[in-house]
Amino acid sequence: MPKITINGQTIEVAAGTSVIQAAVKLNIPIAHYCWHEGLSVAGACRMCMVEIEKVPKLQIACNTPVTDGMIVHTDTEKVKDAVKWALDFHLINHPLDCPICDQAGECKLQDYYMNYGLYTPEMGERKVKKAKAVSLGDRVVLDQERCILCSRCVRFTAEVSKTNELGIFNRGDRSVIGTFENRPLNNKYSVNTVDICPVGALTSKDFRFKQRVWFLKDFDTLCNGCSAGCNVVVSYNQNGVFRSRPRVNHDVNGYWMCDEGREFYRYTNKEFRLEQVVERNSELGGAAVRGKPVALAVQEIAGQLKNHVAQNPDGVAIVLTAQYTVEEYDALIGALTQMKIKNFFHWKNNEETFDEFDGLLLRGDKNPNTAGLVKVLKKYGVGGSWKDFEAGAKAKKFKAALVAGPENQSVYPDLAKRVEAVSQCGEVIWLTSCKNDLFNGFKWQVPMKSFIEKEGTFVNHKGMEQKIKAGLKIIPNAVSLKEFAVGIKESAGVAP
Amino acid sequence: MSVVKRPSGKSKWYLPGILTGLSITIKHMFFNLLHRKDMFTIEYPEERYPYGDRFKGNHVLTVKKDGSLRCTACMLCATYCPAECISITAAEHDDPTVEKYPISYEIDILRCVFCGLCEEACPVDAIRMGPEHQTAALAGSNFVYDINRLAYRPVLKGGVLSRVDDEDRHKRGI
Amino acid sequence: METRLLMQDYDKSGYHTLKGYSDHGGYTALKKAFKMKPADIVTEVKNSGLRGRGGAGFPTGMKWSFLPNNGEPRYLLCNADEGEPGTYKDRLMMEKAPHQLIEGMIISAFAIQSKKSYIYIRGEYNFPYKVVEKALREAYDAGYLGKNILGSGFDHDMDVYRGAGAYIVGEETALISSLEGHKGQPKLKPPFPAVQGYLRKPTIVNNVETLAAVTWIINNGAAAYRKYGTEKSAGTKVYSVSGNINKPGVYEVPLAYPFKDLLEHECGGMKSGFKLKALIPGGSSCPVLTAEEALKSTMDYECMAGLGSMLGSGGVIVIDDKQCMVDLLYVLMKFYHHESCGQCTPCREGTGWLEKICHGIGSGKATLEDVSLIDRVARHMMGTTICALSDAAALPVISFVSKFRDEFEHHIREKRCKVKGHCHAQDHH
Repeated sequence: MPKITINGQTIEVAAGTSVIQAAVKLNIPIAHYCWHEGLSVAGACRMCMVEIEKVPKLQIACNTPVTDGMIVHTDTEKVKDAVKWALDFHLINHPLDCPICDQAGECKLQDYYMNYGLYTPEMGERKVKKAKAVSLGDRVVLDQERCILCSRCVRFTAEVSKTNELGIFNRGDRSVIGTFENRPLNNKYSVNTVDICPVGALTSKDFRFKQRVWFLKDFDTLCNGCSAGCNVVVSYNQNGVFRSRPRVNHDVNGYWMCDEGREFYRYTNKEFRLEQVVERNSELGGAAVRGKPVALAVQEIAGQLKNHVAQNPDGVAIVLTAQYTVEEYDALIGALTQMKIKNFFHWKNNEETFDEFDGLLLRGDKNPNTAGLVKVLKKYGVGGSWKDFEAGAKAKKFKAALVAGPENQSVYPDLAKRVEAVSQCGEVIWLTSCKNDLFNGFKWQVPMKSFIEKEGTFVNHKGMEQKIKAGLKIIPNAVSLKEFAVGIKESAGVAP
Repeated sequence: MSVVKRPSGKSKWYLPGILTGLSITIKHMFFNLLHRKDMFTIEYPEERYPYGDRFKGNHVLTVKKDGSLRCTACMLCATYCPAECISITAAEHDDPTVEKYPISYEIDILRCVFCGLCEEACPVDAIRMGPEHQTAALAGSNFVYDINRLAYRPVLKGGVLSRVDDEDRHKRGI
Repeated sequence: METRLLMQDYDKSGYHTLKGYSDHGGYTALKKAFKMKPADIVTEVKNSGLRGRGGAGFPTGMKWSFLPNNGEPRYLLCNADEGEPGTYKDRLMMEKAPHQLIEGMIISAFAIQSKKSYIYIRGEYNFPYKVVEKALREAYDAGYLGKNILGSGFDHDMDVYRGAGAYIVGEETALISSLEGHKGQPKLKPPFPAVQGYLRKPTIVNNVETLAAVTWIINNGAAAYRKYGTEKSAGTKVYSVSGNINKPGVYEVPLAYPFKDLLEHECGGMKSGFKLKALIPGGSSCPVLTAEEALKSTMDYECMAGLGSMLGSGGVIVIDDKQCMVDLLYVLMKFYHHESCGQCTPCREGTGWLEKICHGIGSGKATLEDVSLIDRVARHMMGTTICALSDAAALPVISFVSKFRDEFEHHIREKRCKVKGHCHAQDHH
């Protein structure tokens, strides 16, 4: 295991590690654009120059393997001058786009200029002109002038998504990133190229111009789009949630996430959410009453459930989707079983494709916590399938149904049909975070917290437990399933 | 606590002090009556005070040569504003040479402290502090100024031209 | 006095055909080589002091000995790209004596135990390509290529591959990339081609002249080769001389031949009315020499290095006093700007910047500051890139500005050319 000393700090690393990887381990910053841990080495930007003792010329840190006893300096005048000029060469043809560029605030050119530059530019000639705002596909926009040709996006489509849509065309300073004719950048991981682009050349159509990044706060959570459980970081401010980007986790998702998963943050925003309790009041001729305080609603629901149980415990059906946390299931099923309710049903949306895997990240099971729900159902010894529920509903067996509906309705394409089946039960209490007109026929609609407003555990397809925590409050009236269950328990007077 | 020893005599009596003060006032009054032109008082609203060119009055959003808003929605003014009174919503422009523009630009004029930091922050001379300051309105009026009011109100006569040319960037290749 | 070792029989008619070549002693070296052991051939080449004739001047025998003994198949690539401005000697060698090259390649392949070799010829060399292709077919028909050559038990296949118009593929890793079917862009070194080259297997890349010299060395012996030249620069070199001289052309002279003699004897001196002003000794990437320096120089690796230049590829460009140095530099910068592959930033952006500053100086729009600016930009493009194109673009700038600064300043101050009144660099493009 060779030992390397960088700026006086020594570390022992595995053979084959490059100098820049060793520097990352030591938390010593080395300026770089084209190097990325998840991609092959390109050595194109020439920013990571370091001084290695006994070597006359400066070397790039990304392609120099560590040899035992290597002594490296990154803070000498020679290195600083080399980095400053490498940055200068990057900027001489870079357009004056900071006001309109989304990357401002998280742009590596800006950051390195403040750290290593702060010089008066001497390029007084005309800059090279290329195409701007080119749509590369459904989700990505390219600005060829801003591109510094680090080739990270090209290497990504070649090595990670293996779809090879991007290439560098022409040579010299006429080089541009582009796609081939009739082959747009539409693979399932295309927006990762926007994340890895160090400058504002690739921008996401979804996030474009929505917010300046310095107005946003980041917080770490998990994607709730499928059973992979990719680690993400969500950006938000008081106006809502704006984007979801991947976090590094070598056990789960590596460095990437899929494009589908990037959509789900939007369903946490106000415009999609159910903001208040909606009750269909028979005394008012079935009109919808909005705004009852949740605590009151829970009390009434508890009372109604208790009545139904008193008449016939088998007449109450509980339908659960696998989009809630383990703690929520535990609390709800625990509370309801104590009320002598036994009919629990696991609503699987696309069972046939559950085991699909595209080889990279996408899983067929579009629920984040199927394994968790199955575990909790097993724990209480209950659980039937949707087919059982449908049969029972058709046979008018159920006088009441409590449904913990899906948070991400877009991955439940047959929602209308299922709602129809549910409406065959007598009184339906539908718990959901997002509103939908389909639910307006039900007795109760109770607003639920979205995945970024509550804490809990998701269990992914591998059985790995990962925690989410509450980042912000978007709908003040929303409750988590656990809070709902606790409320039911207290109101129903069940012994703890 | 300190005790000020009052000198005896005049200052113990209040009347001499009052008369001295009054005499000064009356002297000025007679002087002004006889020398009307040298008075400092301005007869507002017939006479107006000539403020300097850099006076920080109501904001003006400048326009480009074709009349559209110069602002590129970079949000530097909103960031710099100490009163957080500027709200901007950006949108994509069809013309790729323009690319970004504000579809909504609002200044809550009641929050604004007229510090002029927004004018300083703007990289393209899109917002200026103009000379108007007489914009009192009744309660219930709209105190959130939008683009129409900021850029195209009648007194601006169709829009003030920005000094930073937007075409320059593309023509000169910078 | 021209010393034709390689080029001895180039004037014989039909030398480019197999019959003409064989009639003048062709393919005897190959027969001699098969009687030797491959390791001995490598030693012989090492002892001859042969250095790479493509420009770098790296000792050929030493390059061959870098190949690892790991049982992997090896490849020999002949670099016939010849993109260096001012160089056209390889073209002549391929047109006049393709079999000399082929024989040299078979011998070298036998020495390094390679079963497959390629001649990478630049796309613009249409006619030489046809000649070489025909010669290859003749060699196959005669049994000099293919299986069990001359009953030696050595199999070898050779192909000629055409480039498509890029100077950068003259760089060995770019050549390998192009041959593999990728974009002709240089690869990061390490790993070096001798260890991981074509198809990630050990590869040797040699110039046309180097491989042709191997033929002569095996035929006549290393000692005979060493009779010419000096201790460190042994043998002869083929030069392609251009400029306003009486007899431009390709000449073969021993190394360490004085430039003055090459100019006056072989090339017949400057044309009447023209005086020598400067010399680029080995292709445009070499720093320029003033007339004074050139006239007291000898054409060998050491002397040129001592004068701050390089012997390079042997593309001798003679610059007369009617040429404007700013104009010349502008033409060179346009070339390097056009040919940069664009992979790494200093070269990609720097070559464009250098051209623009040059144009600014030429057209008089620049300030005196720009002369030191162009020098600084060039200095910072050196030593920081994946391949040497960036250095090749920077070296002329640094040498032109340091040795002919007055012409640059004249262009700026007077806004016109010192030499010509109006030169190409002033035109708006």
